[in-house]
Amino acid sequence: MKIVVCIKQVPATHEVSIDPETKRLKRESVEAEVNPFDLYAIEEGLRLRERFGGEVVALSMGPPQAQWALREALSMGVDRGLLLSDKAFAGSDTWATSYALARAVETVGAVDLVLCGKQAIDGDTAQVGPGIAAHLGWPQATYVSHVQDAGAKHLTVTRMNEDGHDVVQIDLPAVLTVVKDINTPRVPKLRDCRTALRAEVAVLTADAVRAEPARIGLDGSPTRVVKINPPPPRGGKTLVLDGSPAETARRLVHELRMKSLV
Amino acid sequence: MQHHIDKKMFHIEILSPKQKSQKLEEDLASFADKYRRAFDAGHVICIPDNPMGNLAFQGIELIQELGLPVHGDQVSVHINTFHTKRDLDAMLTAACDLGISHMLVISGDGSPRLPKLTGKEVGYDVEAVTSVELLRYIRREYPGKFHIGVAFNPYEPQDHELEKMHRKVDAGAEFITTQPVIESHPAVESLWQFGLPVVIECWMSKKIHLLSECVGYEIPEDTPYDPVSNLQTLMAKYPKCGFYLAILGFKTQFPILKDVWK
Repeated sequence: MKIVVCIKQVPATHEVSIDPETKRLKRESVEAEVNPFDLYAIEEGLRLRERFGGEVVALSMGPPQAQWALREALSMGVDRGLLLSDKAFAGSDTWATSYALARAVETVGAVDLVLCGKQAIDGDTAQVGPGIAAHLGWPQATYVSHVQDAGAKHLTVTRMNEDGHDVVQIDLPAVLTVVKDINTPRVPKLRDCRTALRAEVAVLTADAVRAEPARIGLDGSPTRVVKINPPPPRGGKTLVLDGSPAETARRLVHELRMKSLV
Repeated sequence: MQHHIDKKMFHIEILSPKQKSQKLEEDLASFADKYRRAFDAGHVICIPDNPMGNLAFQGIELIQELGLPVHGDQVSVHINTFHTKRDLDAMLTAACDLGISHMLVISGDGSPRLPKLTGKEVGYDVEAVTSVELLRYIRREYPGKFHIGVAFNPYEPQDHELEKMHRKVDAGAEFITTQPVIESHPAVESLWQFGLPVVIECWMSKKIHLLSECVGYEIPEDTPYDPVSNLQTLMAKYPKCGFYLAILGFKTQFPILKDVWK
């Protein structure tokens, strides 16, 4: 099974700021990390490779420093990293970005499965995964929490919805976006990190993936952000624990420990 | 452990490089240099395990990968409850193979990126694994292999902290390492009842305000603090204890250690 995992480098802080002129995230001077949801996609790709064999390719679109996200994916165990990087991509919205990524997937060739995190924590749109599927003309399953089975031509997956979950069979090639219930991402070992730092990360330009100039960058982006407002502050969540004093205390300690507060 | 105190061997904390370092080789070289200097001077090297939930490389893999010398008496690795069972077993087996004999077992600081051991995995019917269950597990699976210490927090409510300490001692703790103490703390004397060697942590950074979260109250940023003077005060106050030096400066503080504890 040939798997492409699409990952994004995002600001590693909740204190993101927005350029008042461009209405875009200010990414300069902010520590970056792999979008947390994408780690689950990487892990699932690795587990599928362990189950069914094949290759896992990590793909990211961004400036040269996005190579660090790919190196993290390499340290986790993906076979190779591809960076889609070109000034022609600057200003791409989710539609243009998903088009460019779809072109890169086609350039990789003979791909069976594309995996994405359910959304990126900076833009929070959850549009790029489905957009890739739309541009490729492939079926998609979003919010996938479990890959049950795989045949030569299909996958059976569990996807979450607001009321519970669906079990669906999806033909390959396909695009899946995954939620964090799907697995626990592995923590890379030192030796793998050192190897990843020395690994080659191939850079693909717009020409290399035969992206049409009119469909990338600002020209290819129909989205116009006209106004941004911060969301209203969230109210505190109350958790009521009932039961015997001993049981309640035990559950309270458990809840606090799971949040690393004690 | 008592012989560390009798031989006046400091426990010197050396922080391991972070997983996300973009200058990893430089950080590894610095770590190895500090390790060797402390080792050659006859002190005990203590390597924390993902302190504050920040992903850093594990002490045992650093020793293996960097080919650092191990004398069982001179290395103490910290192990917390935020690991997969597989990684935990791999670490403990490697520690045995390397001849590492000292270990500080702590509950530890979690983060969304770190997996958490479950009670079922280590064979105990508990909702959350703490240092007590981890200690019991190591004693059960690796009998006689390690001298295991536990942590003591003088800034927590003492009835609860001492009750926990009783459970830790019952589980097989052989020494106790405290949180940082400034000049003295009455709670330390409550540890004599356990009859175990006590190692007192001394904060060696001048930035004493960084301990605010640890002690539970705000320490102003401009608070004057002389770490070496504090160490000398602690040594005079607690002559039968050992001393754990956190955030030790290797340029200016390390060279004078030999004159501090004669």
